[in-house]
Amino acid sequence: MNLEQAMQCFLQESAELLEEMETILLDAEADNITPEQLGALFRSMHTIKGSAGLFGLDELVHFTHQAENLLDQLRDGKLPLDARLSGVLLCCHDHVKAQLAALAAGHALPAGNGAEILASIATLLQHCDALPLAADPPAACVPQAPANSEWLLSLRFGPDVLRNGMDPASFIRYLATLGEIQAIASCCTLPADEGFDPEQNYLRLELQFCGAVSAEQLESVFSFASDGGQFIISPRAALASHLQQALPCGDEAEQQAVAAIWQAWGLSPSPTPSMPMASSSDRLASAPASGSTEDSKPAKTVESKFIKVEASKLDSLIDLVGELVIAGAASNLLARGNGNASLLESTAIMAGLIEQIRSQTLSMRMVPIGETFSRFPRLVRDVGQELGKHIKLVITGAETELDKSMVDKLADPLTHLVRNAIDHGIESAQQRRAAGKPDEGHVWLNAYHESGSVVIEVADDGGGLDKQRILAKARHRGIISSDASLSEQDIFQLVFAPGFSTAEQISNLSGRGVGLDVVRKNIQQLRGTVEIDSEEGWGSTFRLRLPLTLAIIDGFLVEIGSSTFIIPLESVVECMELPTGLTDTAAQHCLQLRGEILPLLHLRHFFDLPGQPGRRRNVVVVQAGDSKAGLVVDTLHGEFQTVIKPLGSLFRHLRAISGSTILGSGEVALILDVPALIQHLTQQESEHDSLTRTLALPLPGTPDTLTTSHDRHSGETT
Amino acid sequence: MAKTILMVDDSSSLRLVVRMTLEGDGYQVLEAADGQQALALLDGRKIDLVLSDLNMPVLDGIGLLAHIRQLDAYRLTPVVMLSTESAEHHQQRSQPYAASAWIVKPFEPPHLLATIARLTQ
Repeated sequence: MNLEQAMQCFLQESAELLEEMETILLDAEADNITPEQLGALFRSMHTIKGSAGLFGLDELVHFTHQAENLLDQLRDGKLPLDARLSGVLLCCHDHVKAQLAALAAGHALPAGNGAEILASIATLLQHCDALPLAADPPAACVPQAPANSEWLLSLRFGPDVLRNGMDPASFIRYLATLGEIQAIASCCTLPADEGFDPEQNYLRLELQFCGAVSAEQLESVFSFASDGGQFIISPRAALASHLQQALPCGDEAEQQAVAAIWQAWGLSPSPTPSMPMASSSDRLASAPASGSTEDSKPAKTVESKFIKVEASKLDSLIDLVGELVIAGAASNLLARGNGNASLLESTAIMAGLIEQIRSQTLSMRMVPIGETFSRFPRLVRDVGQELGKHIKLVITGAETELDKSMVDKLADPLTHLVRNAIDHGIESAQQRRAAGKPDEGHVWLNAYHESGSVVIEVADDGGGLDKQRILAKARHRGIISSDASLSEQDIFQLVFAPGFSTAEQISNLSGRGVGLDVVRKNIQQLRGTVEIDSEEGWGSTFRLRLPLTLAIIDGFLVEIGSSTFIIPLESVVECMELPTGLTDTAAQHCLQLRGEILPLLHLRHFFDLPGQPGRRRNVVVVQAGDSKAGLVVDTLHGEFQTVIKPLGSLFRHLRAISGSTILGSGEVALILDVPALIQHLTQQESEHDSLTRTLALPLPGTPDTLTTSHDRHSGETT
Repeated sequence: MAKTILMVDDSSSLRLVVRMTLEGDGYQVLEAADGQQALALLDGRKIDLVLSDLNMPVLDGIGLLAHIRQLDAYRLTPVVMLSTESAEHHQQRSQPYAASAWIVKPFEPPHLLATIARLTQ
């Protein structure tokens, strides 16, 4: 038996259960908890206990057993789910989680504060013993069970009850657990020798029963034998109608026997047996039926159609698909060179299929971001309590999908941003009240898809970023020169500068040396960007924009001289021909596109590529966030499926290149890092601005959408 | 022919351990995560024994047992309940529905196998 495999399974399952437990506990603090949630809470500890036993984890079994007891009391309504109880339960959650983590890492189980938690569980349990049913909320779902009522039961088991695998005696034993059987008598009328069938049931019973039960409870005792049987159950007070119903059930001999029994018990039967009234077996028949429809309601959550696959298998599949894409491009190229029409057709079909395989494979790696978001309710609660701020977390778009590998790497930057929002964003209750805002602060986590990328927003309704203070601090720290004039967005971006912290009071939460610059670096490593929107007094939004996947992208192939480059297609806005006649000097670095100034970047200059520019050149308009730029290239080759190959550590310092890929011809093409290029351009721009250069004049014969940057700069020129 | 056992438990690790135990002894094992799934699996199959957990979401062990006893094809099929020690009162509750055996978690593989062998003879 492969115990290791089973252990892995146990660890993963427990992790899922703990996560569910935490989610419910955090939800329930705000809302009323449902019976399903209580059941799930109970099961989380119960299942871990059951499985831990299999692996001989006695300490864990002992601990979860106590936690289970506590949850059992909670489920039975003997304990209210108040802040104290849910605090203890969260501690239980943490303790079990820590133990499992140690187990997974192969360490000895840490004692942690297990004993302490067990002590508080014991206190709570004592507390609930001290408050017995009196403190029971009306949730006790037994509909007003009358204390110790008396009942008459006439049990006519059907002839097939034994054949159906049921033992009438066991029903009686079970009945005895519900109360006291005061009297019992049987009336069996056995047929003569030849008619006797040993597999048939002839047993019929009369009972007097006393117990704190309702009619429904009694009926449910017998509901599984109701097939072909008749069970007449009445309160003692309804003696007359009970006898009327019970008597006519059998033949004459039986009626006499039954009447004799009742007379012996001092309950005299009515002398006029009438037609049976509403037969109680009808009611019984409907009882299991309604029960089963109730059960079938949650059946909508049918068998889960998921297969768990090892992540490494999926990764190697994606690698293979990458190779397939490259090989497909190669054969496509060969076919084109060959010119054979049928070969071209078949490679085109194959290319289409490869494209489908690619997108299917990549979608397999897509997971909802909710997995990452789910840790935040707890974080917000804990951090909020620590800082004495009352904060509500609102999560939307948890179903938004993105690449699994990205989800893992997002956890840290998001945690940082959320902490930052609570710590620095949301003001104290007094400040909020003074500003006319509700005491309770809000933090929003939102995710959505937007044109080939995933956007994740962390927003708060706190004080917003103070531009003056940021500027002052940046100047003070020497991050910017004292006379620099910056746009709003540029000022906000300063908070990402290394060694920048705006809070006057450095708390032990977010201001521990690790600044927002780490967040930006992490996001940039994922080929993403961070933007900030902020309104002073009303809060700020940190917007992370990330590519959907890290492995394969749609690229746009361009050529400059003999070098080939890939521009990620998601950042390409449009392409156009560079108007002829413009001189290729550094001064000429802008054109006007539909009334907008578009800075130009000559990639030939930028990369210092050999060769002379061709007569016709093209501009690829790219966008990163809100900024646009035009990249000047020689030839456009169009869309190309790009398998991203990371560059070796040797090329770490390269700024404008984010990776490489292999073309169908076997050549290597470099993938351009558009945000970095645009950033470079912006820096260059500001240098140009301060140099106040005069620029070339617009040339005749060029379209009117096109002009040099002269217009823009003429005003500032001195 | 190998006997088919239906294992019903919401804990996948427990199912895995039971599956490995039973398959090691030549049984064929089907798995369901709750009573509702188990009922769906019972339909149209020949299952020689049902091994069920007690506490499960959607439809618990006793509910499953009660439903099984109402299915013509499974009236007499042995049903073994697996539960933790804290469930004596459930044992009583399930009595009328004739559970064939009661095994307390954490189970001993030889004990489980012996019980199943006895019931599937």
